[in-house]
Amino acid sequence: MGLFQKLVSFLGVGKKDVNVLVVGLNNSGKSTVVNNFKADDDKVTDIVPTVGFSVERFQKQNLGFTAFDMSGHGRYRDLWEYYYKDCQGIIFVIDSSDRLRLVVVKEELDLLLQHPDICQKKIPILFFANKMDCREALSSVKIAAALGLDKIMDKPWHISASNALTGEGLQEGVEWLTQQIRELLSVKV
Amino acid sequence: MSGFKRDHKEEEDGGGNPFQNIEKTTVLQEARIFNETSVNPRKCTPILTKLLYMLNQGEQLSAKEATDVFFAMTKLFQSKDVILRRLVYLGIKELSSIADDVIIVTSSLTKDMTGKEDLYRAAAIRALCSITDATMLQAIERYMKQAIVDRNPAVSSAALVSSLHMAKLAPEVVKRWVNEAQEAVNSENIMVQYHALGLLYHIRKSDRLAVSKLVTRSIQTLMYTNVSLQKSSYAVCMLIRIAAKLIEEEGADRKSSKSQSPYFQYIESCFRHKSEMVVYEAAYAVVNLNNSTSQEVAQAISVLQLLSASPKPALRFAAVRTLNQVAISHPAAVTACNLDLENLITDSNRSIATLAITTLLKTGAESSVDRLMKQIATFVSEISDEFKVVVVQAIRALALKFPRKHTVLMNFLSAMLRDDGGLEYKASIADTIITIIEDNPEAKETGLAHLCEFIEDCEHVSLAVRILHLLGKEGPKTKQPSRYIRFIYNRVILECPSIRAAAVSAMAQFGASCPDLLENIQVLLARCQMDSDDEVRDRATYYSSILNRQDKALYNNYVLNTLQVSMPALEKSLSEYINLNTAQPFDIKSVPVVAVSKSENDVKQKPEGMLISSGPTKISPSRDENFADKLNSLPDAQSLGPHFKSSEIVELTESETEYVVKCIKHCYAQHLVLQFDCLNTLNDQLLENVRVQLDVSEGFEIINEIPCPKLPYNETGTTYVIVKFPDGDILNSVGTFGAVLKFIVKDCDPATGLPDIDEGYDDEYMLEELEITLADQIQKVNKANWGAAWEEAESTFHEIEDTYSLSSMNTLEEAVVNIIKYLGLQPAERSDKVPKGKSTHTLLLAGIFRGGVDILVRAKLALADGVTMQLTVRSTDQSIAELITSAIG
Repeated sequence: MGLFQKLVSFLGVGKKDVNVLVVGLNNSGKSTVVNNFKADDDKVTDIVPTVGFSVERFQKQNLGFTAFDMSGHGRYRDLWEYYYKDCQGIIFVIDSSDRLRLVVVKEELDLLLQHPDICQKKIPILFFANKMDCREALSSVKIAAALGLDKIMDKPWHISASNALTGEGLQEGVEWLTQQIRELLSVKV
Repeated sequence: MSGFKRDHKEEEDGGGNPFQNIEKTTVLQEARIFNETSVNPRKCTPILTKLLYMLNQGEQLSAKEATDVFFAMTKLFQSKDVILRRLVYLGIKELSSIADDVIIVTSSLTKDMTGKEDLYRAAAIRALCSITDATMLQAIERYMKQAIVDRNPAVSSAALVSSLHMAKLAPEVVKRWVNEAQEAVNSENIMVQYHALGLLYHIRKSDRLAVSKLVTRSIQTLMYTNVSLQKSSYAVCMLIRIAAKLIEEEGADRKSSKSQSPYFQYIESCFRHKSEMVVYEAAYAVVNLNNSTSQEVAQAISVLQLLSASPKPALRFAAVRTLNQVAISHPAAVTACNLDLENLITDSNRSIATLAITTLLKTGAESSVDRLMKQIATFVSEISDEFKVVVVQAIRALALKFPRKHTVLMNFLSAMLRDDGGLEYKASIADTIITIIEDNPEAKETGLAHLCEFIEDCEHVSLAVRILHLLGKEGPKTKQPSRYIRFIYNRVILECPSIRAAAVSAMAQFGASCPDLLENIQVLLARCQMDSDDEVRDRATYYSSILNRQDKALYNNYVLNTLQVSMPALEKSLSEYINLNTAQPFDIKSVPVVAVSKSENDVKQKPEGMLISSGPTKISPSRDENFADKLNSLPDAQSLGPHFKSSEIVELTESETEYVVKCIKHCYAQHLVLQFDCLNTLNDQLLENVRVQLDVSEGFEIINEIPCPKLPYNETGTTYVIVKFPDGDILNSVGTFGAVLKFIVKDCDPATGLPDIDEGYDDEYMLEELEITLADQIQKVNKANWGAAWEEAESTFHEIEDTYSLSSMNTLEEAVVNIIKYLGLQPAERSDKVPKGKSTHTLLLAGIFRGGVDILVRAKLALADGVTMQLTVRSTDQSIAELITSAIG
């Protein structure tokens, strides 16, 4: 790496490509979140349940994101692990109005954290407590407590309440994620 | 082809195939590059190509390997590179059957197929169809419907063809796309039109009315506006095939003239189509219709004649091949083309020439045979095996037609036998010689001599074994049996174990049939007992000890006539016996005797007009064994002993009544199980507790009835009645039963099939009388050496003789057919074929009565004012012999 490039990356202006994994239970709003990040031209109007996964690309603060938007259906959840290996960040979307399945969310999260490809690495995890506009929605603090996020010591994590339909809260979360990934990359360099 | 040659040359130059030395492990290792964060299309493309090449070379991946590489490949979806993406589609298709969880790419593919990039769309649809299973089909249904009516022809075609594939998985779902397919039929694009028609036909194929509508619509537009609805010649060809199939089905129903049918007129109108392909297809369809008259065929043949003069070799070939096929069924019509065919003999394309000459052979007169044979001889070495088989078949037809020419033909065949050729070719020659031998006693000695010579130098084991078997059967009956023994024993010295074993069996046949050779045979068999192979030694020891006994009965049962039981049943019984672990010896009588199959090969299987390709046909167990499995599930069937025989289906009602009842009679040693298959054709009735009440004749006893609990509309239910034959009174074991169908009717709503009320009422329905005939109780048995068995039976069996006059018969053939049908016995030694012009004939029959009693029957027939018959029955049981003599008359 040349001196100039080193300088550029140090200053944080160079363009980088990163892979992030978007996971969460079905109907939590993963595809909608990703759709919101995309440039206005690429946005789709109607969102249907994802079968398997779909690849989306978007730009945030000079970082080129390739998002693997995984399907949240029960029958596909065990396929997430195929994509753990080479991701630099995880976006975990939770339906905060779905109290009933919060235990399922916790189970899936624990599985994810215990996976050998994940637990070795210091990957930032961004939680979206989605659907905050719903009346019965839990607050992000309550969700963090329910999921036991405070027990995650070895990885940076952040939770933000969001509404993927309007885009509220998404910006804040993804800025944090960008920052974390940038730090991680500069450490590696 | 030229490209292939060039490749070949480059290879020799040393440039070589870049993929020649790839290894599975290396490629899989390299494929890990797909997992990198940013995809480099330049690196990934060659690796993916290698992977595809490897898969196409037949390299097998394990499920784990395939899944790993598949998921690595899914990451390539992030690249925008067009070539890479299209390679990914191919990879998905290749791996879809091996890898697990291929469903993961569904969303990515649906995104591509609805996306803006046209290059992706068609390929994405095809890939999607390969990963989708029946449960997932619902999810993509919307996209498929859209794609079928897409403006882009490639997308539309891809969607239609994929739908056709998916119809195998989920016919119900694909059926719902019929409107879209209908729209696509009207497309401008010729391929879309063809594919849409294909799908439409497939969806509606089971519904004859809908299919006929489909065809009629295009026919009518053609008739009134004189503009074909279908611009695509492919679609027209498809329509012709469908129409031909409709004509066949119609013809099966009613006996109206074909030329009245609108479909037939449509096909005929296609003779004037501007595309040669359509014209040929129409002519092909007409000549292949079942039992069409020569008048109907004439026009088609003149069309073929025109095509056979075409400058295009493909058309000439197709036309001549079709003419060749028709030559058997309509020789007179094809004779008109003889002049054109003569011209084609000198065609530079050898395949066309072969077909032309064999067609001429089939239609030609006896006088021209010599000339044509000479002409064939000039180029027979230049043509491929496949066409040599065609020539051989023509010669076979010729030999049957002109028996006097057998010397010319036989010489020609033996010359062909000496040439190089594959198994199929050699087998067809051997078959032809065998047919000639069987048909023409004069040719027997020469034919056998040729075959003997052939096995001296035969590389095909199966063929040699067959010929040895034939020699064993036919050789002893010739004037000089000893001649053949040298040939057979040579095999024992020179060949592989299976041929040696066959040769030993053949020699034993000579030993058993020719007493004066017995001593020599014993010497040879003694030598064979030193053989290195177990089977050969076993057979030699077995035969030599039997021949040592000098006992005619033993010869007949264990040398001349082979085992008659059905092989799958024997295997099953033996494995059961081994599991039982009893001290009792195995009883071969408990194994059902095999029914002599009605030469199934003769039934020419006509392909279904190539509309739907059928997979390879599975070898199903025989009909009887199917029944046996079903019957064993009946509660009482186990106690009845082994299943003996099942009769043909007897219809007890007219085929278009309210209830359709068919009966199959399953015979056991002492019992009869009557299986009634009932069909309810009233859509407003639900039948319950359906049973058949029998009025049995004296002596019979009804043991049990198993009713059918429920019989909804348009379903077939089965009820059984178990009847015991009269005890010890075999003479009364034929009879006629009155039958009444009894059931409880519940009226129901035709739409839902649910009964309106819970209470039903009793009703009954008269059936036709059910006859228990002699043939139901007799299994046909093929006695290879009937004469020997007959002589042996003279001393041990009971014999009854009687004379009848069969006044209703006018010819010997008719009498023979009727006797065989009535008695249900198997004709032996080809005595069912009456030579022409004779006024007397002897019919030899053999069979087994239920309970395992052997029956031999000799019927001497004489023609004079009706047919007079002297019937001699020999059986181990006196009363069965009486039964048979009393049954006729």
